Amino acid sequence: MFRLGLRGVRFNLGRYVATLVAIVTGVAFFAASGFLGARVVSALEGDIDRQFGAVDAAVIADARGDDDAAGDLRIGAAAYARLAALPQTAGIGGELAAGVSFLGADGRVFASRATGRLWIADDALNPVDVAAGAAPAAAGEIAVDRGLAAEHRLAVGDAVTVLTAAGKRAATITGLTRFGDSDGQDLNGTVSIPAAAAFEWLNRGREEYSSVLLRARGSAADLVAAVEPVVPAGFRVQSGEDLRAERRADAAGFGRFLTLALQAFSSLALVVGGFVIYNTFNVIVAQRTRELAVLAAIGATPKQLSRALRSEALVIGLVGSVLGVASGFGLTFGLMAVLSQLGIDLPGAGIRVAPGTVVVSMLFGTLITLVSASLPARRAGRAEPLEALRQADAGVVTVGKARTVLASVLAGAGVVAMLVGPSAAVVGAGALVLFLGVVGLGPVLAVGGGRVLRPVLRVFGLEGALAADNTARNPQRTATTANALLIGVFLVTFVTVAGTSAKDFILDEINALSTADFTITSDGGVIDAPLVADLQAVDGVVRVTPFRRETVALTVDGTTRGSTSLSAGDLASLREAAGLDLVAGSYEDLGPGTVVLLQTQLTDGGGVGSTAVVTDAAGRSASLRVVGVVGVSLDAMATGAVVTDATLDDLVGATPPTVAFVTTEPGAQTKAGEAIKAVTDLRPDLSLQAGNFVGRLIGAIFDFLIAAVNGLLLMSVVIALIGIVNTLTLSILERRRELGLLRVVGMVDRRVRRMVRIESVVIATLGTVCGLLLGTFCGFALVTAIGRLSGAGISVSLPVGLLGGILGLGVAMGALASLIPAYRSTRLAVLDALRTT
Amino acid sequence: MEAPRAAAGAVEARKTYGAGDAVVHALDGVTVAFPAGRFTAIMGPSGSGKSTLMQCVAGLDRLTSGHAYVGETYLTNLNKTQLALLRRDRLGFIFQQYNLIPTLTAKENILLPLTLAGRSPDPEWFASIVRTVGLGDRLANRPGQLSGGQQQRVAVARALVSRPEIVFADEPTGALDSRTGSEILGFMRSMVDEAGQTIVMVTHDPHAASYADAVLFLADGRIIDEMPDPTVERVLDRMKRFEA
Repeated sequence: MFRLGLRGVRFNLGRYVATLVAIVTGVAFFAASGFLGARVVSALEGDIDRQFGAVDAAVIADARGDDDAAGDLRIGAAAYARLAALPQTAGIGGELAAGVSFLGADGRVFASRATGRLWIADDALNPVDVAAGAAPAAAGEIAVDRGLAAEHRLAVGDAVTVLTAAGKRAATITGLTRFGDSDGQDLNGTVSIPAAAAFEWLNRGREEYSSVLLRARGSAADLVAAVEPVVPAGFRVQSGEDLRAERRADAAGFGRFLTLALQAFSSLALVVGGFVIYNTFNVIVAQRTRELAVLAAIGATPKQLSRALRSEALVIGLVGSVLGVASGFGLTFGLMAVLSQLGIDLPGAGIRVAPGTVVVSMLFGTLITLVSASLPARRAGRAEPLEALRQADAGVVTVGKARTVLASVLAGAGVVAMLVGPSAAVVGAGALVLFLGVVGLGPVLAVGGGRVLRPVLRVFGLEGALAADNTARNPQRTATTANALLIGVFLVTFVTVAGTSAKDFILDEINALSTADFTITSDGGVIDAPLVADLQAVDGVVRVTPFRRETVALTVDGTTRGSTSLSAGDLASLREAAGLDLVAGSYEDLGPGTVVLLQTQLTDGGGVGSTAVVTDAAGRSASLRVVGVVGVSLDAMATGAVVTDATLDDLVGATPPTVAFVTTEPGAQTKAGEAIKAVTDLRPDLSLQAGNFVGRLIGAIFDFLIAAVNGLLLMSVVIALIGIVNTLTLSILERRRELGLLRVVGMVDRRVRRMVRIESVVIATLGTVCGLLLGTFCGFALVTAIGRLSGAGISVSLPVGLLGGILGLGVAMGALASLIPAYRSTRLAVLDALRTT
Repeated sequence: MEAPRAAAGAVEARKTYGAGDAVVHALDGVTVAFPAGRFTAIMGPSGSGKSTLMQCVAGLDRLTSGHAYVGETYLTNLNKTQLALLRRDRLGFIFQQYNLIPTLTAKENILLPLTLAGRSPDPEWFASIVRTVGLGDRLANRPGQLSGGQQQRVAVARALVSRPEIVFADEPTGALDSRTGSEILGFMRSMVDEAGQTIVMVTHDPHAASYADAVLFLADGRIIDEMPDPTVERVLDRMKRFEA
């Protein structure tokens, strides 16, 4: 039977083109994302192991904080000195990094997202190696990584202007660096700055480190044990092994995330491709009914028949998967180009052909093809041998009563389950059952549709009425054809309705969390008066609210809560700019010795009256009484705990503000945003975040998802079009004699062709309308069910314009599909048509 | 001479379509036995049930009541797969529309029943069939490259290749011109005479019926007459009486 399958593929290649395209596209995407991910992961992981190989112990921030400031906590100079002085320490190096960029001779900023790093003098501990020239030593000397140098034509000996948090600094490039096999340690370039200048350029002149790397004199375990008692608050010690594992995970996390995200999409592509494959095979089985019947008549068992079809699917699946993996190589470069357009330059070089990726891609592609073809293959197995003996005269086929009843019951049960189902599983099962019911009711709908439309189509004259009769004549076939379209339209509508509703809901929720329009954060610099004035001057900006933010270690009621932000500023304007609503307590009570905490920072049973102990990098600490609790919001994540200026002064001294909320006029956010960005771009230490950026990101992701899924589904709609062409061509072949007779008794060719066109449009409309109704209902019911089951106030958004567009498209496709069959219907001379059997 | 053994037949066979007032009796209690080693033709006007009778005995369709049998096997108790295996291993078919698989060569089409059964052909038997039907130089061609007569020869060869107990033919010459039709009927006749093949043929053509050993006449689902050693003239005469 395999040979028969092979032969079937060879002689039906044209029909299999759509299937092949679907498999190749899906597998290519899947493989490409795998290749890309493997490349990134291995490049990043490999470098980490080599470059941090000499580290025996490390002191790093205890990142258990709940807010986005975790990791900003620093190790002060005194603590660093204590670590260096330990008898077990053979070498020590502190890490410190902040954004820097370069100002070109033409006044343009370049390499604006590079990372400035403190140069670690201990060679073994320094993860960065000098590739050319010499290490930077004196203030005003820097080294840049090879990637930056190549991209911006920098060379050893060049004089450059570096933009830092401290302002413009003149520097000379003394060397080029590399990080293992990669160019830079950081995604957008590494600039190495010697200790003589680093603290001034990167950290407001304070000698602090974000983490410390240590080499052991003697055993590594002894060093870790010795370091333990001198670790500052908010930090912990870990072994070199743990550090490498963590950094590997950090670095590779990006690659893994990339792989996962891309592969989620490509899996979706493959699954949707499954529908395309299903449709194609269905059409192929319908077209080869006679051939299958002959095989059945001369003794092929049902098993052998479906095996023949399955072996065709196996061949197509394998061929498609091989082609797909091959195209995946090419696509990898395409993906890299797209990502670099988005500003993501991937580390590593060349493509890593991971055998795992190749095998999984091939398996996945082949499996999806086999699964999609299994239902059509079973249908092939049920081929009736009598079909082979039947004369080619199209009789009238009736619909079985039992089937109608069963399908109606299924559809009804599905509707009920979706509307009142008590759990997600029941609602989901309801959708499936309803779908099966409607597909099963197809023939009934075909008959009903024909009957309903007959009086309407009567206006086209006799051919209209005949066309309506013809659709009801072999309802099973009409239904199979229309179902292909129905499935595509159903999925498009369903995804659109449910997706749009979910998107709108989530956007509303997220927008409610944030009221500040922009947040500007300085990494190592300050938000000074001139900057505030510049921002105020921007058209559309209503208010700039700078505030001071420090990172501290937090202990609430004796329980360590990791590091957190501690903010202070003008309370009235802060509350106006940001959504910092209290769920307990009152801002009135905020004064010396008191603090307002985030809801998430509290321990169980804690609340107003609890005691919070905060400790800064220098080890100064204060015990504060909790007087208020802020509810969860994006703005609250930016401020963290809130105290008065006086309280903060007592703890860390009179530090300048480093963060600002910017409020813009309603509707001016986009325009003002560009002007604000122009201001902040001149200061590399500043980062700008739109307040609702999360919402916008999620909105964009949803839009992309909906568009991507629909794009893929459109492919299945096109396959449905091919199905209509096939069915009409078949039925015209069968009715040659009948058509000849109509022409003999005086129906002119133009009217015969019109009859075929009307029939085609009727089939297409049936499929489209049913798909639209079913998809809209399922989307509606699903969204309502989510609202009902989760208690969320989600409502249904109907994209009416899009739905109208789908309907128009369906009808137009019907007209398009009829072109070839209509032409063929009158191609034969009248007498020949009568003579053929 | 001893009465020949029945190769296949039916007992009280009934086949009805529709229900209530609109019920149609395609077969109305037919009892028949097709003798082994003979060539039997079934004739009758359109709607007489002649094709239905053949299809039910050949395991292509099921009776509403009564029994059909092939050799010692009653078809009533067989499921779909068992029927398929019976057709594959014990029966051969020739259709009016040739019904070849368009993707396979003539040779592959002929060998198809053996391929389905996973058996290898007997080279001598295969060669003798090909010689008899005269297809020697066309074996590598596909059906699309063959004339109607050549395609029907392939179909005849396919029906014979597995040495079936019975060959069922449904209007085998219906789509052929009279000269090619006569050749095909000649092969069938010689298979009966030389190899003792059993053949049951449905036809409405008196010329085709004249090649048979006996003709059964059906009307309204019943056997109304049987004619041994038919000639074209006698068959025509008998058929004229249907209209009377």
